[in-house]
This record gives sequence, structure tokens and C-alpha cells, in this order.
Amino acid sequence: MSKFIFGRYLPLNSVVHRLDPRNKLLLSFCYIILVFLANSWVSYLILIILTLGAIAASKIKLGFLMRGIRPLIWLIVFTVLLQILFSPVGGQVYWHWAFINITQSGLINAGFIFIRFLLIIMMSTLLTLSTQPLDIATGLASLMRPLRWLHVPVDTLAMMLSIALRFVPTLMDEAQKIMNAQRARGVDFGEGGLIKQAKSLIPLMVPLFMSAFNRAEDLSTAMEARGYQDSEHRSQYRILTWQRRDTVTWIIFGVGLVLILISRRW
Amino acid sequence: MKTMARLQLPKLNTLSMVTLGFLMAVQLILGRFTVGNQFIRFGFAFLVMALVAKWFGPLWGIMTAAMIDLVGTLLSGGPFFIGFTLSAILSSFIYAALLYQRPVTWRRVIIAQVLIMLVVDLVLNTLWIAIMYHTAIWALLPIRILKQLIVTPIQILLLYPLLKSQVIQGIQGRLS
Repeated sequence: MSKFIFGRYLPLNSVVHRLDPRNKLLLSFCYIILVFLANSWVSYLILIILTLGAIAASKIKLGFLMRGIRPLIWLIVFTVLLQILFSPVGGQVYWHWAFINITQSGLINAGFIFIRFLLIIMMSTLLTLSTQPLDIATGLASLMRPLRWLHVPVDTLAMMLSIALRFVPTLMDEAQKIMNAQRARGVDFGEGGLIKQAKSLIPLMVPLFMSAFNRAEDLSTAMEARGYQDSEHRSQYRILTWQRRDTVTWIIFGVGLVLILISRRW
Repeated sequence: MKTMARLQLPKLNTLSMVTLGFLMAVQLILGRFTVGNQFIRFGFAFLVMALVAKWFGPLWGIMTAAMIDLVGTLLSGGPFFIGFTLSAILSSFIYAALLYQRPVTWRRVIIAQVLIMLVVDLVLNTLWIAIMYHTAIWALLPIRILKQLIVTPIQILLLYPLLKSQVIQGIQGRLS
């Protein structure tokens, strides 16, 4: 609970922090494709250099980034183990028992998967650490704009998203307060069996919903009092600008892409 | 014709829009909340997803589910994969198909939750994990089936009382 997502933004003044959020979102999506394209040692080396370069440019300490990976460590270990134990027969077989094969190709694949996992998680953590939640919301809203042609109410969704992000910390505090209040009355959170644990959350859930709805009522009245009618016919205060450094990141990305495509054979 | 009308985007007034925003915030928070022991953990975001689908219908349900999945993974720093967004969209659609503008009964809640377990958790999510990390499906499946067999009844036992609760019915009355 205490290591909640929204506290994760790290305010530093680096090139990466000053990049356009739209650009960072697009780059991280395309980066995942890049990771899936890599299939040889050389291509993974290029990826690692690109990733470490991005981290260095962001001035975020590697150790701090690694802490973000800790919650996912079990998933990584589990997947790598599955890969080692249940790989299809191929290459040299080191150990064989019933349906468990430990083979050379299995070990190599497990190594690739481990690197792939680590790289994807590092890059997405970098995005979170270097971009404020509200910037992510603005960036997403602007990237979704073309969906208007499909009659998706993009502006309304963007408005909802910024309301949601603004009130996550508030409702989080509220949840904490309700929990403490219920604890003072003798509710044990996180104790007993599964069903008992789940049931103990009802004295938290119901007041939380009620309080969220009361706030929603107040906020919507206040919005209407300030002249809000619909999401479409409005102007924008937060304006994103594409700068030269954003173009440069795509040139670097393009070079990386070409190098990886070439090195796929080795 | 009747199904067409059910699939249309209901026009939102300011209160409904703001409420949806708040429900998204609650969903982001509950998505981080898990109970359980070291073997089985599960979250509560599904409750809010069902609520949104029940109150606002399939289209708003689908759109907010996609947004929550997108923003939730982006902000938590986890790896993004479009398949899980599709899973979220499908779950929301199943809830809406069974609960939107219809009375809440045990049968509907059970059918919705079991459908989601079979289609989304067992088939799709297992497939996504297999695609993403190149793991053998049949190595994953037994553990996932076991987990879902325990979690789904608990989810049903939580969802029904929530949808039937006085507070939720009261809010629904004030929304319309």
C-alpha cells in the first residue's frame, strides 16, 4: 500500500523528463515491439545498450529502478523456471526425468526470456518515473484523438481520466482513514482465511463507494456552476509541444531498429 | 431492435460523467488491493468493473475498462501487452450483457463470473502469458485452473451482496 504507484514519479531535471509525454508513450510502445524483434545475442546487446543509454540520460539511479522490479521478481523466476524445465527437446539434453527436460536450447531461451522481461520492465518503469501521471493522461488523450472518427467520445474519456487521476490520492487517503477507523472498532484487515479476509473489506468498500459518490455529486455541481456543459466545445490550457529532442529520440530509435533487423541473423 | 437500443452510447450528464471518473479512480485503487496468502492473491477491481457495466452499459464499460487497463499498467510500471486490454474489454462486456438494465439475481451473477473465468482467465489470459513469455500453455494451465476454482466462488460471494446492497441501490437511484 505504501509503495503505491502515484508516489513513484521522481522529479529530476533531465532530458528524458523534459521529453514530450506523447513521444515517451509512443516510444515505450514501439520499444516493446523492438524487444520482440530481437532474437540473437548481438541484437540483445544492442537493446541493452539502448536501454542503459536511456536510463543514463534520465539521471535516475539504476538501484532505484531495480527496486521497482522487485514486486515482479516472482513472476520472472517462475517463468524462467518453467522455461528451463519444460522446454521442447532440442540441442543437447543435460537431464531428463519423466516430462522434465533440461536442454541447451531451453537454457538459452530462458536466458533470453530473462533479459527480455528485465528490459521491458526497466523501460516501462523509466516511463513512470520520468513522467507525471497528469502528463501521461494528457499525452494519452492527445494520442487517442484520431479515434474521434470512430465516434469514440475521446474528450469525455479524457475528462474522466483526469478526474480519476486527480482523485486517486484523495480516495487513497480516505481509504486509509476508513481502515483505521474500522480497525479502532475491531475489524482485522488481512487476517484469517481467504473468505474472512475478503469479508473484512466490506466495512471498507461500502463507505468508500458512498464517499466517492458524495464527492462526485459535489464536484459535478461545482463544475456546472463554473459553466461546464459538455466535453467537446472547450479549449485547452495544457498544451503539449513537440521539440527537437523528441525528433532526435526517434532518430536514435530508428538506428536501433535497423541495427537489430540486421543483427537478427547472428 | 431491442439489442440495438441497448448497445447505444447513453448520453451522460455531468453527474454520471464525474461518477464514472470517480469509479475509475476507485478501480485503480482497488486494483492494487489484494487479499490472500502466499499462494493465492486476488484483487477487487472486478467489483467496480461490474458496477460500471451494470450502471452505464456495455459501451461505457468497454471504454473505461480499456482506459483503466492502459493507465493502470502504464502507471504501475508493469509491461504493457494489448492482449490484457482485450481481456478487460471482454470481461466488462460480459458483465454488461448480463447485468445492464436487468435485475440482479444469483443466476446472472454466477453465469457472468463463470463465463469470465472460462473465457477470460483460463483461455485468453493463459494464451497471452504464453505468447508474451513463450511458456508452455499446458505447464501454466493446471495452476491457473486450481487458482480460478478457488477465486471464482469468492468473487461471486462478494459481487452479489455488493450489487444488492442498500448503499449501491441508493446511489443508483440518485444517478438516474
